[in-house]
Amino acid sequence: MKFIPNLKVTTAETPLVFQLSPGEEALLLATLRLYPVLDNGHHRISKDPKSAGSAEQRLLEESMAQLRAAHRHKLDELFRAPQRFFKGASGARHLILTGAQFEWLLQVLNDIRVGCWVRLGCPELEDARPPELTRMNARALHTMHISGQFQMALLEAVK
Amino acid sequence: MTLEVPYPPILPPGGAFSGLARFGQSGYSPAMSKSAAPITVPDTEKEQQTRSKDQLDRGYLVICWNDPVNLMDYVTHVFQVVFGWPKARAQRHMLQVHQSGRSLLVRETFEKAEYYVHQLQGYGLNATMEREE
Repeated sequence: MKFIPNLKVTTAETPLVFQLSPGEEALLLATLRLYPVLDNGHHRISKDPKSAGSAEQRLLEESMAQLRAAHRHKLDELFRAPQRFFKGASGARHLILTGAQFEWLLQVLNDIRVGCWVRLGCPELEDARPPELTRMNARALHTMHISGQFQMALLEAVK
Repeated sequence: MTLEVPYPPILPPGGAFSGLARFGQSGYSPAMSKSAAPITVPDTEKEQQTRSKDQLDRGYLVICWNDPVNLMDYVTHVFQVVFGWPKARAQRHMLQVHQSGRSLLVRETFEKAEYYVHQLQGYGLNATMEREE
């Protein structure tokens, strides 16, 4: 997936355009279908152990649940009408996002990436020795890297 | 081409409109009818009693903690969007998280600190609010 800069207009309303192959489009949609991966209980409002059952902790979990429901709703719209996001022109495919959609997609992809990392047991990713591959964790490891690749491609637009 | 965060920062409660209140106090005086109804000053005592002095103090620290999974460019971008920081400042805090294990992002009131933590966690960052000792 590759960012296509718009050289004429650079306002907040200028849509961001990414070129991708049909295979990348299918892979992106398959990855997004996994959302949400991260559990609402993953979030902690504070490192203070006394905050565990606090009203603030409950509020954070509720807030994350609402955010995920809203993201899921937008994803359902995307799956219902992918042609609103993906346009074909002269053989190439383009993903076209508004600023708000761009932020939403980044959050969704990061949820998938972090959720897969948690499922893998929160391994140190910079270690020379990669996490041991098993039949159970192979998919999580693959999805974590794929969602990271899509995030990097999206972030090219704001570099 | 460089695209510097094309959208405005996410503003905390009260933060976006405090300038308007100051504008009202700095001499702007629209024409007023003589027959206008008397102004009733709202009773603010109740509000003052519901929040302790501790909670109104800017004594809450929003801290971002290091983890090996969030991408460095992503963390920089999130700091820019959530706090409206320029890229250089966002990168400085991102590198502090990466190298020192954590970075103190802002010192705020309870309400604003909580708001920022919700925003940062919505992006999947490992951020918490801690009472300043």
